[in-house]
Amino acid sequence: MGAPVRRGPVGGGLAGKGGPVRRAALAFLLLTLLVTGCAADPAHNETDVMFLQMGLAQIAEGDQVAVVAEQSAVNPGVRTLAAELRGQWQSESATMRGWLTDWDQPETAAKATGLHAGHGDLHALQPGDIDGLRAAKGSDFDRIAVALLLGNLHNTMETLRMATAGSAYPKVKSLAETMTATRQGQIQRLLALAAG
Amino acid sequence: MQRKFALPALTVAAVTGSLFVAVSPASAHGYISSPPSRQANCASGAVAGCGDIVYEPQSVEAPQGSMQCNGGGSRFTVLNDSAKSWPATTVGTSVTFNWVITARHATATWEYFIGNTKVASFNDNGAQPGATKSHTVSFAGYSGRQTVLARWNVKDTINAFYSCVDLNFGGTTTNPTPTPTTTSSPTPSPTVTSSPTVSPTASPTATPTPTSTSTSGTTTWAAGTSYKVGDRVTYNGVTYSCRQAHTALSGWEPPYVAALWAAV
Repeated sequence: MGAPVRRGPVGGGLAGKGGPVRRAALAFLLLTLLVTGCAADPAHNETDVMFLQMGLAQIAEGDQVAVVAEQSAVNPGVRTLAAELRGQWQSESATMRGWLTDWDQPETAAKATGLHAGHGDLHALQPGDIDGLRAAKGSDFDRIAVALLLGNLHNTMETLRMATAGSAYPKVKSLAETMTATRQGQIQRLLALAAG
Repeated sequence: MQRKFALPALTVAAVTGSLFVAVSPASAHGYISSPPSRQANCASGAVAGCGDIVYEPQSVEAPQGSMQCNGGGSRFTVLNDSAKSWPATTVGTSVTFNWVITARHATATWEYFIGNTKVASFNDNGAQPGATKSHTVSFAGYSGRQTVLARWNVKDTINAFYSCVDLNFGGTTTNPTPTPTTTSSPTPSPTVTSSPTVSPTASPTATPTPTSTSTSGTTTWAAGTSYKVGDRVTYNGVTYSCRQAHTALSGWEPPYVAALWAAV
């Protein structure tokens, strides 16, 4: 629950490394448990928290791409899709934040735990990506925007599938299932745009 | 020290029934999106019955050196099934391959094969790819339907990512009507850009529900048109019935895509 989770979808690292942040988080967790008793609400697990934190980070990255694509794509199909994604992300992320707040969990796993270190970075939007997108023109712009959105949604799908497989909290699982179906439909449209 | 041991135990107890599924999607990094690779055609729904690859077209990872579309091994073997109706994209001599990259691994080389012939190789000398990757490859001398095997060889692991792309060079002999988006110009233009002439019929609905526009009767098949199940089109004098809702793309002509069209 309070464990610092890696942002990149890479296994390992959860069990070890009792750094100060982790110990603080665990102490906080203990306090939370003592106070609330964790009784009334259905139990959630680490996967729920990890999905919400990673999912919010992925939405934030996707939105950086979509906001530019919505404005500047040549193909109206790209603009429509970007706008649609942004709308869905907005409501999804509000829901996701709500659960983290309810559970007294941070919205982002602490960076100090090495979250962004190593392989996880490879899956993230990189400095300069958005600048590169903005600098592109015409069909080049569309091609890059579609590729960036696809990359973001594919990484999202991995997180979503992790959640649907491992979630303990029914509402989270249900949201993840809905998002899986929605994102897959959008991936299909993006692939059609890429192939077109 | 005491705390160090006590707390994790408590955590485990608190996370009741927590089955932390360490799905390790580290094996997910990239594939060719256009011209659509086999896994892209699976993920886009153009080809049905693909299995799990629809959710992770970027995951076709296997040790380097394989000549198979799935990279060898037992996973995603559907990609090796040449009996499946893989759509072939009609292209000219020069083809630009666009990759979708979900993790930027330091790269040794990108290789393109037809059969056992290495048609092109690009050495990145360990560089990290950017947000996107494109290669333009000349296929002078090839004609008709061919399967291109692309290998992305990662620098710092023993693995590669595999994509097979079915292409139809120079149009087909059986298809006198040139498809709308084909650049069949004999001069190898530097980029055979798949120009976005396919009109974006992406509907605002996320569900892949049929969003057809036209057709109360039978029309002539055209790229860019949205078809729903049961729509009828003619192509080269043959009438086809739509089996799966989709927006038609060049390369998805009814005779070539049994997953989408059935002759009636």
